[in-house]
Amino acid sequence: MHISSPVRTPLVTGGKTYADVTEDVSRQVEGRPTREWTIAFTISVIVLLYGTACLFYTWWEGLGVWGLNKTVGWAWDITNFVWWVGIGHAGTLISAILLLFRQKWRTAVNRAAEAMTIFAVICAASFILMHMGRPWLAYWALPLPNTFGSLWVNFKSPLVWDVFAISTYFTVSLVFWYMGLVPDLATIRDRARSRVSRYIYGALSLGWNGSAKTWARYEYMSLILAGLSTPLVLSVHTIVSMDFATSVIPGWHTTIFPPYFVAGAIFSGFAMVQNLMLIIRVVFRLEDYITVEHIESMNKVITLTGSIVGVAYLTEFFIAWYSGVEFESYAFINRAFGPYWWAYWAMMTCNVISPQLFWVRSIRRSVVWTFVLSVVVNIGMWFERFVIIVTSLHRDYLPSSWAMFSPTLFDISDYIFSFGLFFTLFLLFSKFLPVVNMAEVKAIIKSSSERLPKSVSGVAKGERVTNPTFNKDVE
Amino acid sequence: MEHTKKRYWRGLEELRNDEDFVKNAYQEFPSAPTNDLENIVDGTGTHRRDFLKVLGFGMAAVSLAACREAPVRKAIPYLNKPEHTFPSISDYYASTYVDGGDYASVLVETREGRPIKIEGNPQSGVTYGGTTARVQASVLSLYDIDKLKGPKRGDADIDWATADREIVNQLGSIASRGGAIRIVTSTILSPSTKAVVADFIRRYPTTTHVMYDANSAFGMVQANQTSFGRAVIPSYNFSRANTIVGINADFLGTWLNPLEFARPYAETRKLGKTKRDMSRHYQFEPAFTTTGANADYRGPYKPSQEGLVVAALYNKVAAKLGGSPISATAVDVPHLDKAATDLAASRGRALVVCGSNDPNVQVVVNALNGLLGSYGTTIDLNTPLNYRQGNDVEMNTFINDAKAGRIQGVLFYNANPVYDHPRGAELAEVLPRIALSVSFADRPDETASLVKYITPAPHYLESWNDAEPKAGFFSLTQPAITYIYKTRQMQSSLLTWAGLPNDFQDYVRNYWRANLYPRATGYSSFDDFWVKSLHDGVFEPGRAAAAVGGSGAAFAGNLATAATAIAQRYRAGTGMELALYEKVSVGTGAQANNPWLQEMPDPVTKACWDNYAAISQKTANDLGVEQNQLVSVQVEGRPAIELPVLIQPGQTDGTVAVAIGYGRQKAGRSANGVGQNAYPLASFVNGCLSFAAANVKIEKAGGRREIAQTQTHDTVMGRLAVLQEARLADYKKNPAAGAYIPKVVTSEGPVVADELSLWHGYGKPNHSWGMIIDLNSCIGCNACVIGCQSENNIAVVGRQEVINRREMHWLRIDRYYSSDADADDLKGLEVASANPEVTFQPMLCQHCSNAPCETVCPVLATTHSSEGLNQMTYNRCVGTRYCANNCPYKVRRFNWFKYFDESEFDYHFNNDLGKMVINPDVTVRSRGVIEKCSFCVQRIQEGKLTAKKERRRPLPDEIQTACAQACPTNAIIFGDMNNPESTISQVLAYEANERAFHVLKEINTRPQISYLRKIRNKDEELKKELTQDSQA
Amino acid sequence: MAHANGNGKFLVGIFDDDDVVLKAVVKVKESGVRIHEVYTPFPIHGLDVVLGHPRTRLGIAAFLFGLTGTLCALLLTAYMERFDWPMIVGGKDPYSFPVYIPIIFELTVLLCALGMVGTFIISNGLGPTVKPLMFDLRTTDNKFAMAIDLSKNKLAEGDIENILRQSGAAEVNVKQF
Repeated sequence: MHISSPVRTPLVTGGKTYADVTEDVSRQVEGRPTREWTIAFTISVIVLLYGTACLFYTWWEGLGVWGLNKTVGWAWDITNFVWWVGIGHAGTLISAILLLFRQKWRTAVNRAAEAMTIFAVICAASFILMHMGRPWLAYWALPLPNTFGSLWVNFKSPLVWDVFAISTYFTVSLVFWYMGLVPDLATIRDRARSRVSRYIYGALSLGWNGSAKTWARYEYMSLILAGLSTPLVLSVHTIVSMDFATSVIPGWHTTIFPPYFVAGAIFSGFAMVQNLMLIIRVVFRLEDYITVEHIESMNKVITLTGSIVGVAYLTEFFIAWYSGVEFESYAFINRAFGPYWWAYWAMMTCNVISPQLFWVRSIRRSVVWTFVLSVVVNIGMWFERFVIIVTSLHRDYLPSSWAMFSPTLFDISDYIFSFGLFFTLFLLFSKFLPVVNMAEVKAIIKSSSERLPKSVSGVAKGERVTNPTFNKDVE
Repeated sequence: MEHTKKRYWRGLEELRNDEDFVKNAYQEFPSAPTNDLENIVDGTGTHRRDFLKVLGFGMAAVSLAACREAPVRKAIPYLNKPEHTFPSISDYYASTYVDGGDYASVLVETREGRPIKIEGNPQSGVTYGGTTARVQASVLSLYDIDKLKGPKRGDADIDWATADREIVNQLGSIASRGGAIRIVTSTILSPSTKAVVADFIRRYPTTTHVMYDANSAFGMVQANQTSFGRAVIPSYNFSRANTIVGINADFLGTWLNPLEFARPYAETRKLGKTKRDMSRHYQFEPAFTTTGANADYRGPYKPSQEGLVVAALYNKVAAKLGGSPISATAVDVPHLDKAATDLAASRGRALVVCGSNDPNVQVVVNALNGLLGSYGTTIDLNTPLNYRQGNDVEMNTFINDAKAGRIQGVLFYNANPVYDHPRGAELAEVLPRIALSVSFADRPDETASLVKYITPAPHYLESWNDAEPKAGFFSLTQPAITYIYKTRQMQSSLLTWAGLPNDFQDYVRNYWRANLYPRATGYSSFDDFWVKSLHDGVFEPGRAAAAVGGSGAAFAGNLATAATAIAQRYRAGTGMELALYEKVSVGTGAQANNPWLQEMPDPVTKACWDNYAAISQKTANDLGVEQNQLVSVQVEGRPAIELPVLIQPGQTDGTVAVAIGYGRQKAGRSANGVGQNAYPLASFVNGCLSFAAANVKIEKAGGRREIAQTQTHDTVMGRLAVLQEARLADYKKNPAAGAYIPKVVTSEGPVVADELSLWHGYGKPNHSWGMIIDLNSCIGCNACVIGCQSENNIAVVGRQEVINRREMHWLRIDRYYSSDADADDLKGLEVASANPEVTFQPMLCQHCSNAPCETVCPVLATTHSSEGLNQMTYNRCVGTRYCANNCPYKVRRFNWFKYFDESEFDYHFNNDLGKMVINPDVTVRSRGVIEKCSFCVQRIQEGKLTAKKERRRPLPDEIQTACAQACPTNAIIFGDMNNPESTISQVLAYEANERAFHVLKEINTRPQISYLRKIRNKDEELKKELTQDSQA
Repeated sequence: MAHANGNGKFLVGIFDDDDVVLKAVVKVKESGVRIHEVYTPFPIHGLDVVLGHPRTRLGIAAFLFGLTGTLCALLLTAYMERFDWPMIVGGKDPYSFPVYIPIIFELTVLLCALGMVGTFIISNGLGPTVKPLMFDLRTTDNKFAMAIDLSKNKLAEGDIENILRQSGAAEVNVKQF
């Protein structure tokens, strides 16, 4: 008998075999860098150098080169910090939560997404350093024994929570990502011709040989790591949001912040993943692995989280009115109609209105639309943080201290620095490490391939489809 | 072992049996070589001068070294420690601050021989221990590196001997050929100095002494001459007045000596358990002054109406009290009738003061005061004030003579007419043509740079002097440091040139022996008297007379002529008009090179580092200009000056107000090129200086110049949690009127916001340092701000950084205008009324018991003491600025740059001389850390240690913060709230349920600072936004 | 893999398809051959079960490490803020538990993750310097290798080879260490 496959639309197209997967992914790791890559890399290195120069000037002269003042003590620095951390979240979310949900479409994108997480967190951390008046003393934020007697840190300060949250988040993501890389590194090790790369990839792959026992433990570990990362990723942005929520400043002192920030983080993170993926799949010719299916599913997440964020915005206003606190209600009226109205409406347009376009299937599945809207969303999310931080600070309790903030060249350049850093790191990653998780893709090829790989011999497809191990996965 | 033959030499000397060595062989420490010290201390007398010389030697040497290219960074130790002085222990010397006519009796705090702080002298019956911003700031001018290092001929440095020889020769020859010599000075308060001048004139008979004041009161003197036959300025007893009317007299800011008026005025304004009534204050003025800001009713008028306002007021009062009316065209100025009614009602307890320099106007004012029976009650003609002795006519004559070449020699002392006289330009032309011209200026200023010789006189803190600010009130100036530069007091120079012994200290002594000792009683010898006076700083035989308050005086002036003169001069014009005024900060511009004063925000406009064209919103609309736009102000026949526009609510429509004292060209690094010189816009009417002008042309000059303001939002947005007010009438009914008590609704019903807490709190077992700030008696003078700056080494950041909103002042005075809008019209509330009520609110760290800043600091750089202090640990701070963001009062300041050392912040602190003003008890904050008010913790610690050493508790009110000490009106009360004897406890005991409120009570920060509600003596309802009793 | 280090002769069956391997393992075991280990380019669900590998105890390790993290955090905060140097901060109690929850959580996760991964690496004898024991380089690409230790099997080499071929091995190689 012949049972036609009930499987959902394919996640891997072009009838790839296991060997094809290995070949397609390892290609750019082993081959010479492509022209596109070289150009992109040169540009980002130049940007990085410019940014670094500006950063050093900032540190040499003092933070006075920024546009901050006695009233607005944070602006672009912390805006960028929160923005980058938020972006980071998508990676963990994709690899962890989607793993728990057995969302197989993640396999093609999770590797790059996790890399993005790590680099984004590095950028975020760079802003924590940057915004300090005396960055060379940053280590004082750690509970270290010191020359001041037993003077420890202030565990009551959300900034200390941040230190713990961000560093934990970074470490765990890094481990998760690296462990995911090990089998693929082994693949590359075994394909390597040059002795150097055999040595390096050999060392990195920790002597992996893919024995059944190791694989079993490996999968179990991945599951637990995923289980750990899920609450972790939620905690990180929760804690970041507490920087504001635990303060007394109207517009900051808001209990809705944790869920609202997490949703926003996923929102912006997925948008960033979209941007990167759409580039990678073209540059590295991975259209067969990062398919319209992937794009569409991620767009759905974007629409969902975007709507959550939208609801949060409205809730804030409702509470401000409902609480009857004059300062808070003023803070929110001031957001929408005060001197920074443009920032507020930019945020609203980009974050609440634009993602709703994804309800239209053709837009949702259009590469161009996706790319553009993802950029828009990230702009919007940057403005969200700007609005929260600056418009709340610039007019708080005492009108005598009300002031305006306007960025200087160095506010902007130090932001540009983080882009240089991010893309340089990401391009290095995409050149020297497999951007797609080969092992995981191979594992799903049969269940989700467009048509039966030619070279796979042996049992008939019908049996395979009815094979319980796969039906479990198909849900 | 005694058998040993081995012997060790202590060096070759012993081997050689050097004579010196043998002498000292058995001394562990050879005696210190004292010779070189004695070179400095000429004559080893035991009196204070030598002691001071020794004291000053180290610092003088350092500073001299500092003036070379490569400063020698060496502390020079006392070779033998002077008696009564200990390193790190302050010594205080009573002295007298005199700057032209400005006067204050002060105590000078010195550390290891360098003055670091000025305090008021509580023993003074003139200034009552108060200070002004200028007095506080004067210590910085001592360390001004732009001062001359020695005498100069033209641009060449010369030594004193040469200078003396040449000058004496030329004086001699001029005198011998009968050439005219003039000594041009500002007002001289010092009787001894006047005697010196007299001696000089005796030696050179062709000399005459010309006094003038940049901001003249000559008209008053004349008026009193015609009215009472007394060419004086009487003293005013504000404390006795129920109704005070000020007409263009900024008596709390700049008129005569605000310091003398502030305390008595405040007394009439203070309220409390025993005093439920206060004076009512009307102010009529063309510009918006500090005094106007304190008035209950304020009426703006155009300068061209000044005479008419006075005349109208006279007539209205006369109508009520049956005086003869004078012919005057009616004038429409708000509150005039009301003022008249109140004046008439409070006859004998009324006072009208007028700042006009027009004798005719002042005559009418005198008549009015006579009508009100003020003489002998609120005005005392028998105790004249000497603050303004300038004679505008003589000064003009001098300039005319100079132009006509009739002057051969001129000496300038405390006078810079080229800058601050309207005819300065004319003088500048002819000055080089005068055979001998000498200036005693401490710097080559606008005038001095044009004279032949500059023989610089030292700062008052380096000088001996005396002063008689008002009849019968004397005080002494004594040096707190020896000469930093090769300067010599003007008096010594004059004596030298007059061929007399030139030790001015002896001269003052002798003068006092001869003229004042006889008036003293109860001293065994003059030396006792002298030492006592020197210790107290003041000798006031006139107190008794002053206490009487003078006697009634019959007005003998000619009202009719005055009236006609007024009718001629004052015709309400339709054109644009100009009103020049003096700023509280830089005043007449004499101290312009003082960065503290330059950066001190004007009490009303909150602007610093500039002068500007202040116009009302309506006028701005008519002219089509907006804030910061450059306009050219043109008085016909005068050079136009370009100024940025400042929109000033309450400014008379059709009138532009411009401050004098700016636009210095040769004052030094801080002042040069700041603002525009407005003196040339002044004029002379019937020989009297006039600061008003009609038919002024104002045109857009194109371009903008941003004005540095420390506060850019004018209104309080109807926020009762921040600011509370009430009417006197309501206050009398209910002392807690106007209270706003935010409540939180809980399951047990509404609860006062700060009675709820998540935490158990903590005790303040020992002390609980707190503060009360009385919004009723705070006049916004900024003395506290500069006092704080001086005490706590607060950096000056300069114009651009103020524009960037980064001024560092730990203590600021928020100024709020009232608004006409409803409490819920948020946009409308942002706009101030056309003629707003003003409230000053000093704002500093509230030392919250639940401090939001502490919670958020990651590194515990700011924590709370068990004495209620919010402490800032600078060297632990990593500069996240989270605390500043989370401070609801926005009182935390961040060091954006290295303000103390970098060359772009060239405000005295970046050179070794300027650094001498630094208070060694307070850390100089580095780049990248937060700083803020510490309640002068260094003073608290010092006080506690003193008490501890004396085995006692600190006495109530023994410990005072710099701001509380500086305040001329005692609006700031600091003390230990745990000590029932302290003033603060006693005041809080009743005010807690009456006027006291915490700012932002509803966020439960529980501040240590309480404010006393502002009470306005008004009959109408107050501007609605701040008065409804509402609850959250 | 202690028992397979260096000396020893192995028969390596190479398969092309994961399902085939899965079934082959069952077959080969039924025919009484002791399988040393199977090497695959990606995890095959159930393979470890049919091979009869014991269930991993990584979970327990993870839990213990997590617990350590929690305790560390509790001790850290309590010691530093309550005992070593209590301070008045924002009017809060020196030791105010709620504010430590984030710290406690983060440390728990951190130690749990690091500890578990460490355990994994050690228990599998992995490490940067470890030389992998590869029966066929293609097993990290697209082939599935079933290694049979001849020294641990009674059956003759030929028979085992046949069994492998019957159960779907594409090729059978001999691997001598």
